[in-house]
Amino acid sequence: MNLSLLIFFSLGMFLIGIIGVLTKRNALVFFLSIELMLNASNLLFVIFSRQWGNQIGLAWVFFVLVVAAAEAAVGLAILINLFRTKQVVDIDQYNNLRG
Amino acid sequence: MHCALCFSLFLPLAGFLILMAFADRIPRLPTYIISCATVCLSFISFAAILIIYTYTGMLPHSDTLYTWIPIEQLHTDISLRIDPLSLLMALIVTGIGFLIHVYSIGYIEHEEDFARYFACLNFFIFAMLLLVLADNLLLLFVGWEGVGLASYLLIGYWYFRPAAARAATKAFVVNRIGDFGLLLGLLLAFHLFGTTHIATISEMASQQYDKGDTLLTIMTLLFFVGAIGKSAQLPLHVWLPDAMEGPTPVSALIHAATMVNAGVYLIVRLHPVFMMTPQTLQLVGVVGAATALYAALSAVGQTDLKRVLAYSTVSQLGLMFLACGSGAFYSAMFHLTTHAFVKALLFLSAGNVVHMMQGTTELNKMGGLSKNFPYTHWLFFIGVLALSGVPPLATFFSKDLILEQEYLAGFEVLFYIGLAASILTAFYLTRVYCLTFFGTAKLPPQILSQIKEAPRIMLLPVFILGTLAIIGGFLGFTFGKTPLLEGFLKEVGVTLAEKKLSSGFILTPETWYAVGGAFFGIITAGILYLRFADRLGAPLSILKHSFYVDQLYELIIVTPLKSLARLITNFFEMGIFDGCIRLVTANVNRTASLLITMQSGQIRSYAAWIVIGVVVLMIYLVF
Repeated sequence: MNLSLLIFFSLGMFLIGIIGVLTKRNALVFFLSIELMLNASNLLFVIFSRQWGNQIGLAWVFFVLVVAAAEAAVGLAILINLFRTKQVVDIDQYNNLRG
Repeated sequence: MHCALCFSLFLPLAGFLILMAFADRIPRLPTYIISCATVCLSFISFAAILIIYTYTGMLPHSDTLYTWIPIEQLHTDISLRIDPLSLLMALIVTGIGFLIHVYSIGYIEHEEDFARYFACLNFFIFAMLLLVLADNLLLLFVGWEGVGLASYLLIGYWYFRPAAARAATKAFVVNRIGDFGLLLGLLLAFHLFGTTHIATISEMASQQYDKGDTLLTIMTLLFFVGAIGKSAQLPLHVWLPDAMEGPTPVSALIHAATMVNAGVYLIVRLHPVFMMTPQTLQLVGVVGAATALYAALSAVGQTDLKRVLAYSTVSQLGLMFLACGSGAFYSAMFHLTTHAFVKALLFLSAGNVVHMMQGTTELNKMGGLSKNFPYTHWLFFIGVLALSGVPPLATFFSKDLILEQEYLAGFEVLFYIGLAASILTAFYLTRVYCLTFFGTAKLPPQILSQIKEAPRIMLLPVFILGTLAIIGGFLGFTFGKTPLLEGFLKEVGVTLAEKKLSSGFILTPETWYAVGGAFFGIITAGILYLRFADRLGAPLSILKHSFYVDQLYELIIVTPLKSLARLITNFFEMGIFDGCIRLVTANVNRTASLLITMQSGQIRSYAAWIVIGVVVLMIYLVF
């Protein structure tokens, strides 16, 4: 497998995540895009772990997965509460902190 | 003895502090008692000092109570000096002060804010005693400013009346000009003598300087400026007539009997220095004479009872300065004493009328009040006769002494001016007496019949002052071989200037002029205002407005100053200073409103900022 191809693949995933975060107004898709970025970085860990032949990268993947799971739990809870307050999932509606 | 002195000085201060601290919590009666008792005890202890002095010749010596400024040359102590001169002043201040305290109980009975009044009155007594007893000029200056403050507070006692507030400010500002002169004189004295100790200065002035030394003359001139301000002489007299906006007992105590005498006292206290500067003394005499005549003429035209008396005070103070000017410091002090009695009497009996008529002071609302005030009008009459110079009442002797003095010293012009002023005095006092108590009543009968004689607590002090006004002149007499007041004051070198004049009372042609003049004034005014009162029009406008001095000052000083102030407010304050500050705040605002757009509250825009930040950081790290 070509290493640079794999890196570009992971970079592409990350960019898709960023673009999703910046453009999507639906809170769930927004959330999904964050997960996508996390997994893009996971992929990079795996690629380099294999490339250099050590396991530290794989260990980090598990850390990221755990954090992502915890974040998903907290994030979804926040989302549900947000939805309860305004009955919408459009995150642009939640701009109460505007200066 | 030493304790007695401190005791009598600090008692009124204690009264002031107590009344000020617990102003709202002390009921009426204890307030009256505290206030009057402190002054009364102070008077008693001064009287005790006098009695001990008379029998043993011992006076409490000036002791250092406290070292105030322990800097080498400027070493200044809080130390008191009691000698016959300061003892006389202290007795006048506390004696008349006590009578007026008692009188005030009646006068202030309807006021809610009585504690403030009595506290200020006590503070005044303390400050005046400090002025009188001070051993060095610096401490005297403290007292000098203290009485100015007390005067300001009491003129503005009814601060909610715009006229009173304005009069208080005017008094304070005009006095400030004089005080500045005194302060400069004090600094010059320190420069010349290296000390502010009064006795040392007096001694060194005659030893180290020639007569008429320029610097010494400037110093005495500056002191005289201070005296002019405090004693309301030309051209700084404008505050005193306006000061009549204050309560009448205050006018009697501060603006007639005690504080305004401070200028005379200052000159007499420093007379060894003034004697070294004949030019200044000449000026003192001329200013005094001019003021005496000017104020007497102004008094004739006043239509307000209290303002007549105020101008009369200015005029009599002018006579005292006239006496000082020819070196007759004893005559000045004698006149100061008798005038204090008589003017307090006049003011307090006028106060009875004012008080019982609910604060009316305009003469055109009075008239025909003699039946309503059976005692007051006789007391006022005694005051009129005494101040006019009718023998043998108090002021006759002192005024006569001053006039005689001028004549014998060869100041004939000043003598005739003084004589004219005293004839005018008789005239305007009789005029005001007739307009107040006789003639046709201006008030409707049903109101007139309700005006009653003042309560007893207000009459008693006036009776005592009336007695003093009758017998006060005998202070100048010689019993046996010891002249009373003169022998007393001789100790401090305050004597009759003319050797030809013996103490006591001698009939001279000038006396006949003075007595004749007094009767002439009284009779003319009596005939004019009793018989032809209705046919006389309003007083001459120029006299009524006291030669338009106030208007002149308004025109050449006050208005330009106000426009200058307005210019500074509008241009410098609003334009430049506020402009600079507004420029800064406007820029801060603009920057903030730019930055505020970042805080949109949109999560996605925050995310965008983070992305941009990361990208910038990465570009920086890579390149």
